[in-house]
Amino acid sequence: MGASPARLVIALSVAAALAIFVVYTALAGAGVAQLTPSTVSAAKGSVILVGQVVGPIHVSGDTRRFAVKDIRSANTDRVYVDYRGSVPDLFKRGAEISVGGRMRHGSFAATPGSLVTKCPDHYAPAKSSSQNA
Amino acid sequence: MAWGLALAAAFAVTAVFFVARPFLREPAPASDRLDELAPAVRQQVALAEERDRALDALKELEFDHRTGKVSDDDYRAQVGPLRRRAAEALRALEAREQGPHDSVPASEEPARS
Amino acid sequence: MAALGRAALLLAFGLFAYALIAGSYAAWRKRRRLALSAQNALIAAFPATLVASAILLVALGRHDFTFAYVAEHTSRNLPLGYTLSAFWGGQEGSLLLWLVILTGYAALAVWLNRRQRELIAWTVPVFGLIAVFFSFMLCFVSSPFHQQVAPADGKGMVPSLQNPYMLAHPPMLYLGYVGLSVPFAFAMGALLSGRTDERWIVATRRWTLAAWTFLGVGQLLGAHWAYTEIGWGGYYAWDPVENAALMPWLAATAFLHSVMIQEKRGMLKVWNMVLVALAFNLSVFGTFLTRSGVINSVHSFSQSPIGAWILGFLIFTVAFSVVLIRWRLPLLRTKTRLESLVSREATFVYNNLLLVALALTILWGVLWPVLSQAVGQTRSLSKPYYDFFLHTFGLPLILLMGIGPLVAWRKASVRSLGKTFLIPFGVAVVTGGVLLGLGFDSSWAGLLAYTFSAFVVASIVLEFVRGRAAAGGIRRLVSRNRRRYGGYIVHAAVVLLAIGIAGSSAYQTIRENTQLRPGQSMEIAGYTATYRTIADVKGADYTGFRSVLTVTGHGEGFTVDPGTNYYGPVVGSSTEASIYHDPRTLGDFFATASCVTTASGACRADGAIDLTLLVKPLINLIWVGGFVFVFGALVAMWPDAVEQRRLAARYAAGAAPAGI
Repeated sequence: MGASPARLVIALSVAAALAIFVVYTALAGAGVAQLTPSTVSAAKGSVILVGQVVGPIHVSGDTRRFAVKDIRSANTDRVYVDYRGSVPDLFKRGAEISVGGRMRHGSFAATPGSLVTKCPDHYAPAKSSSQNA
Repeated sequence: MAWGLALAAAFAVTAVFFVARPFLREPAPASDRLDELAPAVRQQVALAEERDRALDALKELEFDHRTGKVSDDDYRAQVGPLRRRAAEALRALEAREQGPHDSVPASEEPARS
Repeated sequence: MAALGRAALLLAFGLFAYALIAGSYAAWRKRRRLALSAQNALIAAFPATLVASAILLVALGRHDFTFAYVAEHTSRNLPLGYTLSAFWGGQEGSLLLWLVILTGYAALAVWLNRRQRELIAWTVPVFGLIAVFFSFMLCFVSSPFHQQVAPADGKGMVPSLQNPYMLAHPPMLYLGYVGLSVPFAFAMGALLSGRTDERWIVATRRWTLAAWTFLGVGQLLGAHWAYTEIGWGGYYAWDPVENAALMPWLAATAFLHSVMIQEKRGMLKVWNMVLVALAFNLSVFGTFLTRSGVINSVHSFSQSPIGAWILGFLIFTVAFSVVLIRWRLPLLRTKTRLESLVSREATFVYNNLLLVALALTILWGVLWPVLSQAVGQTRSLSKPYYDFFLHTFGLPLILLMGIGPLVAWRKASVRSLGKTFLIPFGVAVVTGGVLLGLGFDSSWAGLLAYTFSAFVVASIVLEFVRGRAAAGGIRRLVSRNRRRYGGYIVHAAVVLLAIGIAGSSAYQTIRENTQLRPGQSMEIAGYTATYRTIADVKGADYTGFRSVLTVTGHGEGFTVDPGTNYYGPVVGSSTEASIYHDPRTLGDFFATASCVTTASGACRADGAIDLTLLVKPLINLIWVGGFVFVFGALVAMWPDAVEQRRLAARYAAGAAPAGI
């Protein structure tokens, strides 16, 4: 029995799957950039901001304005986020969040509904509560 | 916590005993060789699997034919070779059971009409 | 007490190390008594880990805050059930759960197959290898038995974990994850001993099926939890931690199918080894993802040191698998080839390709932030990426579920295919046409999902009808062909899942963040929701509110009361979603509300709420599908006396593996 056509078809299928993947990635882009407060100020376009909520959270109506800093870093850069919409349960001072949006006039204009807070870290080594300032 | 340590010690001793048990039961065995299937027996197992596969395929062909999945033509085309394969596998097994055999066991070959 | 726990874990570690080292030597040098001794060590380790687990459970139950772990994860006012669930709520305890399940499985698998000394000679050290790692972690890196001066009260448990799902979801997942170690150990054991027969598959078939079922149920429980408790309106967010469970499940699905080909045709031996190694390594990767914080996820965050250890272990097991398979490649190759592209073997191969492709694209999506960071800017992929590949690879998979059963083994002639396909194809075309006419082309993916599902349902029904006629009764049919018809039931469950997922995502309606004052209404998908009043609620450790809305539409009238519970400044608040199960669409009317706050943070006096409404058609089919899934798996797993006798006769020379 000569070379099986089945092998050829399987090889072609694998190639097809790879091709679909490559074409999709080329067309749809390589995802959304994830930035921190220290790197987001120069960002253009739609990005995801990842950081820790600091300071007072100003609420007016359904809009919140709060500052975000780099997680686990001594970096003092702060970015103010304007977020409209309801927030997840765990959102509060000290929460680590990721939120989508874009920089506008020096502040981060968030896309409503894109705010995600991390679940409390059950798997971390025991932390003292003073870290959540 | 003395009782805790005593319990731990007792536990450890039991475990060690259980682990050493094969040596304690047979300090001087006739053979310490790990049973391993001799190549002849391995081939027999392979043949038995081959036989079961052939019989299974026949049974499934019958069932598929009865439920209408395999047409009469296809059934006729396939049942012959399958029956031959099953017969070969049974023969090879019997031959092996009767005595040592040097020939290579029937390998999985595609059914040809 | 903690000292006893540490001692028990240390003993277990010693026993596993012995099982690994002595077991390897015994298998290599063919020493019978030493092999038996190593086997005993593996079995004896189970009571040791049980003791350690019992000590932790008792400490939790007694609120023994000298245990740092107990103080960290529970408090005095926590109900007993949740207190005990803290066993797996934290890092150290969850590792212990992993280990105790692993030792239990290993002990049982080895004991059941104890007469097949050749089969398990190398399996014992492989189990030992895996267990040595986890017990090492528990003894020296991440121990649950750290002691401290007892504080007055523990830190308590986050409210989101205080629900019945926490009692079931993690243990189910672990029973699944860890269960994949069993076929892996037997497979690697077979490679190490140079055997190429099917005994390892026969021995582990039900183990794999059971692990796969647990993993599937665990994921469904997690999805249901996210949907009803977390309340963002969805059940799967493509979060890395969710994907961590999905990937090994997909690989295990592929393995379950291709193993059937090996049993029937003796083909694909190499591929099966690759799949079982892939499934196991993905499960280790899964535990790495949830613990290491390397990947940005809602669930994990900290850069815990244990991540590095698990990564090291993962690299080792991957290398181990690759080297072993490469070494034994000549032994595994068979001359059997795929005869025809139109055969059941071929559909299984396509199914495998699609499942593995989907698993790999998910893997890529999970790893992309790490990879992109290495070459430049950190980027992340989200829903659009995953949805695209779920559609591209998942929709053909649905179709294959209907095609596979209709095609014969080895070779099917196109003519006979035409006849068997006619009815299901007709059903699909009619369904598609009707749906098209009703406007379901708003989502082409949803339309295809429904159409393909109709095809599959028709083909499964036909299988049962035709089979019943041939066998003379449904019971006889199923009891003689448990695996096949159990498999069909599982396929039916997957179809229910597919329909439920398609309906609730492709055809859902969302109205987010509408502000309403009492008396105002809003419309969604033909329903009108009127906000009536707001009422305060009070519980044991929370206060909060519920907003009462009356909903009318589609000939129905019902009430939903979404609101929020507030647990104090430390713990925070939790969204309490209100879900109405609509019998008309088998879907849900889903509502969440938060009160509009003043500048000081208190709810506004006029009772204004920020309301989000979702209408999710057919979503309850997902949960129904879950039950059908378990039923089908049980049917497929059910012991078969006839099959057992046959296997015993087959392996009479070397004694049958315990086909459990």
